[in-house]
Amino acid sequence: MSISGLISLAFTAMIIENVILNQFLGICPFLGVSKKRSSAVGMGVAVVAVILLSGIITWSLYRFVLSPLKMEYMQTIVFILVIAALVQMVELILKKTSPALYKALGIYLPLITTNCAVLGVALINIRKDYNFAEMIVFSLFIPLGFLLVITIFSMLREKIDTAPVPKAFKGTPIALITAAILAMIFSRFGGLI
Amino acid sequence: MDILLPALVLGAIGFVLGLLINLVSKYFHVEEDSRIETIEAMLPKYNCGACGYAGCHDMAIGLLNKKAMVNQCKPIKQEAKEALMAHLDELFKAEKTSTNN
Repeated sequence: MSISGLISLAFTAMIIENVILNQFLGICPFLGVSKKRSSAVGMGVAVVAVILLSGIITWSLYRFVLSPLKMEYMQTIVFILVIAALVQMVELILKKTSPALYKALGIYLPLITTNCAVLGVALINIRKDYNFAEMIVFSLFIPLGFLLVITIFSMLREKIDTAPVPKAFKGTPIALITAAILAMIFSRFGGLI
Repeated sequence: MDILLPALVLGAIGFVLGLLINLVSKYFHVEEDSRIETIEAMLPKYNCGACGYAGCHDMAIGLLNKKAMVNQCKPIKQEAKEALMAHLDELFKAEKTSTNN
C-alpha cells in the first residue's frame, strides 16, 4: 500500500471509523474514566500502549506461529492470553513509574484486559489481512482516536459538572446524551474520504 | 497429534508470557509497607470484591488506614477473622504508644 493509502487508513481509523463513536468498542472506560481530564488522558495513553503492543505481538504470532501451524481457530484464545499478560505488565510498570496515575485509574487499569477495543483491533488486523505497515498504522491510530475522543469527552464532562443539568439527567444519563451528540458530529466526517 | 500441538503451542506462549510478567514484576518491584503484606496474607486472597474494594490488597490498605472493617470481608473464616482482628489491635496499639513517645 502506498503512503497515501496509509495516510487515508490512519485518518479513517482515527476519525471516521472512530473506535468509540463509530464502532462502539471500549465504552466502559470511556464512561468510567472520563470524569477528570488528567485520568482520561492517562487512560488514553495506557490504551495506546496496550493496543499498539498487543497489535504487533498478536499479528506476529498469527503470521509466524498460528498460520504456518494451521491453528487459525486458536486466534481468539491466544490473543486474549497475550492481552491479559500485556495489561498485567503495563499495570506493574505504571505502579512503579507513575503511582498517581496508577491510583487515578484504579480498577479501570486491569479492566483494559476486557476493553473490547484491544481484542477488536487484534482481530480486525487479522480479518482485513493487513501487512506489517498497515497493521502498525491501524493499531496506532485506532487508540489515538480513543485518546482523542476520551479527552474531548472528559473536557465536556468537566463543563457539564458546573452546568445546571435537570435532576433526572444528572450523572450517567447526560453523559450518554453527550456521547450520542458527539457520535453524530463524528459521523459527519464520513463524507471526507 | 492434532490436539496435542495446539495445546503445546498455547502452553509455550503462556509460559513465555508468564516468564515475562515475572521478570517485569521483579524489575519494577515497588517497596510497600510490610504491614500491608502481613494483613493481606491473613485475608482469604479470593479477590472476590465483596468488601467493596478492588481486591484483597486494596482491602488490606483500607484496614491499615482504618477505613475498612474486618466484617466487610464476607468469605473470611471465623478463626482467621479473630486472628486478623487481634493482629490489627496489636498494630494500632503499637502505633499509639510509638506516637505518644
